[in-house]
Amino acid sequence: MSTTLERPALESPRTVAPGKDSRTLVKSQVRAGWALLAPALLHSGIFIVIPVIAVLVLSLTDYSFGDTWAWVGFSNYTDLFRDVDFHASLWHTVLYAIVVIPISMAIALAIAIGLNQKIRGLGFFRTAFYIPTVTATVAVATIWLWIYNPGSGLANGFLSLFGFAPNRWLADPATALPSLMVVGIWQGLGTKVIIYLAALQGVSRDLLESAQLDGANRWQRFVNVTWPAIGPVQFFVLITSIVGTFQVFDLVYVMTQGGPGSETRVLVMDIYQNAFQDLKLGYASAETVIMMVVIAVFILVGRLLQKADVND
Amino acid sequence: MTSATLPAVAGPSSKDPAFRPGRLLLYLVLSVGAVLMITPFVWMVLTAFKSNAEIAQFGWLPGELRWRNFVEAMQTAPFLRYFRNSLIIAVGETVFTLAVCTTAGYALAKLPLRGSKMLLNYFIVLLLVPFQIILVPLFLIVKSIPLFGGNNILGQGGIGWLNSWWGLIIPLGAAPLFTFLARQFYVSVPNELAQAARVDGLGEFGIFWRIMTPLIKPALITIAVFQIEAAWNGFLWPLMITTSDSMRPLQLGLAIFSQNPAEIEWPYLMAGTALATLPMIVLFVFAQKRFVEGMANVGIKG
Repeated sequence: MSTTLERPALESPRTVAPGKDSRTLVKSQVRAGWALLAPALLHSGIFIVIPVIAVLVLSLTDYSFGDTWAWVGFSNYTDLFRDVDFHASLWHTVLYAIVVIPISMAIALAIAIGLNQKIRGLGFFRTAFYIPTVTATVAVATIWLWIYNPGSGLANGFLSLFGFAPNRWLADPATALPSLMVVGIWQGLGTKVIIYLAALQGVSRDLLESAQLDGANRWQRFVNVTWPAIGPVQFFVLITSIVGTFQVFDLVYVMTQGGPGSETRVLVMDIYQNAFQDLKLGYASAETVIMMVVIAVFILVGRLLQKADVND
Repeated sequence: MTSATLPAVAGPSSKDPAFRPGRLLLYLVLSVGAVLMITPFVWMVLTAFKSNAEIAQFGWLPGELRWRNFVEAMQTAPFLRYFRNSLIIAVGETVFTLAVCTTAGYALAKLPLRGSKMLLNYFIVLLLVPFQIILVPLFLIVKSIPLFGGNNILGQGGIGWLNSWWGLIIPLGAAPLFTFLARQFYVSVPNELAQAARVDGLGEFGIFWRIMTPLIKPALITIAVFQIEAAWNGFLWPLMITTSDSMRPLQLGLAIFSQNPAEIEWPYLMAGTALATLPMIVLFVFAQKRFVEGMANVGIKG
């Protein structure tokens, strides 16, 4: 773009004259390619691939940060089947994902469609919906802790406006997990809205207009043009949501520490405690493998749902 | 900034009266939504100004604006140090990520590598691995980085990157998501530009750095904003690998504030939280337009 005629001469006396030997040119491109790619390959290999393999291996051992360890076969897994805390956290995490993912995706899509109607103040709305996302989970959790505060919190203040009796929210086993879900949905909306909005703006105007000329109403245009067009983005949002909801930790750590009892105990929290408080690394790794499998199943189901959707 | 997104406003609503009630409803719903999103923050800021007596009961406005809450909050905890630490981590991670992910993304998109499709799939699969899953071995790897923190060449005997800036910055930088994102942008830059530069005799690295990379600024901004946010809000990883206060970031400082439920100083906590959040909101307000363009490319182009 900004190449001037002089610059190349300064830069590279070694470069082959244009067109003279295209094979050398391709060779130098390939060499440059691998050089540019090497840092990312090295980094991901060391910090992602090796750890994933290590989790699989560690889960078959009784390693606990010490010098000695032994292979224990699948006994970590069989122990997990009898572990009440693990059952509770797995169940809570799955429940959390099943509730939070569809609700937050639906709300986010609805908001994005609203924002896509060429409205005034788009920048303001976009920022407003995104504010919870840019805020650290710890900060978000702290604010909501205060809102759910049974004595003087906003939630009970709001209820009292309508004459309802105050609730104990996070302290009540029946409402603790749903209260956390509300925060999770609220916090995750921003990113999804922005991605959907970007996708909606990319839907072909021509297609929408010709559908309108053919007499399709708003709903038909949405179902037949918009919905298929944002398919890839739906999938991207779905995947990141699945990964995101299974990661829930900071929120729980700050708001409830898994309580009351173990009503809000989640998988990552259980893994964290087993690994770094009880120092049972092999055990925690087995737990992690199961989490991987569950996430894979979720993604698979997501794919199948999408495929079924496309075939309609 | 918002003006650029508005030009088409005049449109259907004024022409078509039937649209009017619908429009009004739309604005109403969106506004209620926006209020729901913002209320907790307004609440937070107002609380930061209150006295301990005032927060004991439900109420909105503080009796007086106690600016000294902010000053006192910063004095009770070493906030400035937490702030500085978060800044170091955020800047370090962002520079590292931009360097690694743009180079890799460019190579995947534009250079004739054998198996580049496979390599792309490799990064996409990695994108699905949540960080929490590899928590435990990642800790062990960081602990046994050779020749750091008293380790020998085999990575034993010392603490490696634990309690170090290296450990805080490098492992979580350069996420595959950003390599993927950068690649999506480079793909859409026309090849002719690179060809022309090649004919002019510019080297491959020169083409990458001077010709192609300046053209994907929205991607760079998107990656930077995402990475700064992630680093700024990081919690679990710093909690695991640091033991001393001297390197701990803001989020851990805030969490320590609320660790003992019996004696939380709500106004101080809220003041600290507000101060911690503000930079990220400002960042988004300034970057949002480019940021949205950036997001648009992630999912759309195969």
